[in-house]
Amino acid sequence: MIELRSLTKRFEDFTAVDGLSLTVETGEFFGLLGPNGAGKTTTISMLSTVLLPTSGEILIDGQRLTRKSSAQKRKLSVITQEYSMRQDMSMDEVMEYQGRLYRLPMKVIRQKTEELLDFAGLLEYRRRTVRHLSGGMKRKLMICRALLIEPEILLLDEPTAGMDALSRRQMWNLLRRLNGRSMTIILTTHYMEEAQALCDRVALINRGKLQKLDSPAGLIAELGGFAVDETGEDGLKSRYFPDREAAIAYLRTAGQDASLRATTLEDVFVECAGRKLTNG
Amino acid sequence: MGIITVLWEKWVEFRRDFYKITVAAMISPLMYLIIFGMGIQTTSHGEPYLHFLIPGVVAMATMTGSFSAIAQNMSVQRLYEKALDQVMVSPTPLWQFILGQVIGGALRGMYAGGIILLLTLPIRTDLTFNLISVLIMFLNGTVFATIALVLSFLAKSYTDAPRFTSYIIMPMSFLCNTFFSTDQMPSGFRQVISLLPLSQASSMIRAIANAEEPGLFGFAVLAAYLVVFGGLAVWFIYRKKNL
Repeated sequence: MIELRSLTKRFEDFTAVDGLSLTVETGEFFGLLGPNGAGKTTTISMLSTVLLPTSGEILIDGQRLTRKSSAQKRKLSVITQEYSMRQDMSMDEVMEYQGRLYRLPMKVIRQKTEELLDFAGLLEYRRRTVRHLSGGMKRKLMICRALLIEPEILLLDEPTAGMDALSRRQMWNLLRRLNGRSMTIILTTHYMEEAQALCDRVALINRGKLQKLDSPAGLIAELGGFAVDETGEDGLKSRYFPDREAAIAYLRTAGQDASLRATTLEDVFVECAGRKLTNG
Repeated sequence: MGIITVLWEKWVEFRRDFYKITVAAMISPLMYLIIFGMGIQTTSHGEPYLHFLIPGVVAMATMTGSFSAIAQNMSVQRLYEKALDQVMVSPTPLWQFILGQVIGGALRGMYAGGIILLLTLPIRTDLTFNLISVLIMFLNGTVFATIALVLSFLAKSYTDAPRFTSYIIMPMSFLCNTFFSTDQMPSGFRQVISLLPLSQASSMIRAIANAEEPGLFGFAVLAAYLVVFGGLAVWFIYRKKNL
């Protein structure tokens, strides 16, 4: 279980994360959503101890996470938004470095490297240096590197950014499989359909503060499960209704271009983030 | 164990860039030896100037080799590649990472100094280099590797590394007993210069080269730098809020 207790991170006069408190259960698939600059990446960076909190703390299985916490860090693996690896190493070397940092036996490193690179379709490029890989290949290599150590907790910061639709779907399937093996996953993403498809619960954060925390279905139900879109002078507007009958009744009174659809997590995000931005 | 991992990483880097590293380590010291030691053929204290110059250039090459191996590399890893994140999140104790970097940097410094020793072998100088000289080169390398680590943790941009070289390494190269004896310098200035690590490393290597005792003061000065900057590097990696 991961607990964030009043987690705050300030950079000079800018507060990136502001008193964030939440709990992620063991084996949960948890999403951190928010607009650009909401504090998602800063939170992941604190979870990976690259950044230290200004105040507050992180507990993993009841133990405080610090840079000295080797036992807690052994459980963690991170896939960062940036390609955080030596650009001048080959894929094999990147994997071996990771294995050595986690004190895996060489035999295990070699065997798992073979399996993971093969799984990711990278085996034939294994001797190619990172700087000569495409963005998608680098992303896949980061996933292989993260999985090499069989972590209990996987932190993913925008893992499918820049991936084509097919690769993204493959990634979703992989993440579902990993989560099915009781791996706790914390995911930040800009793709709301990704969070809706994968996450057990999501936290919507904005300006470093927790706005909403519930399952995607719970958040959608709270907004209203049915949406009517209509185009007015101000552009596209959506109205939300708790049941189909109410939505249809409104639709009859609306203009011809109005349409009915199911509410999505993206609607919740837009409503939440959009309102805050407008009010902000 | 973490130390071995870092040394392995340094070995991968060394193996890949062997020619670049070797040529870079040779060029400046070789130029100094050719221009000042052989081109401008002067004497110092009745001896060929080259006899004075070689120990100083060996100490300087050790400093430059170890400093550049760490400063440039760590700044790029921390600020540009973000590869340091991989280490930070891993269970490898961070003090072992620091120690591995320091030893790796010192070995690179010794390699650079060793090349100069090899290149000057054909010159008949009767200078002595022994195991204590090697120990001083290693100690000198560890000092500049720790200084490089601290500076790379302070760097705000990866272009800061060349600036550190201009601000620290270049002045030390010229002032610290490499090319001329500091005996003729004004009193206060001389004392300050003599407390700099390269001054002590040059003096000790030169003393051994001339079959004299290096004395313990130089070791104490180098050890003090190592403890202070090593402590700072460990403090930064454990306590710096935004690495």
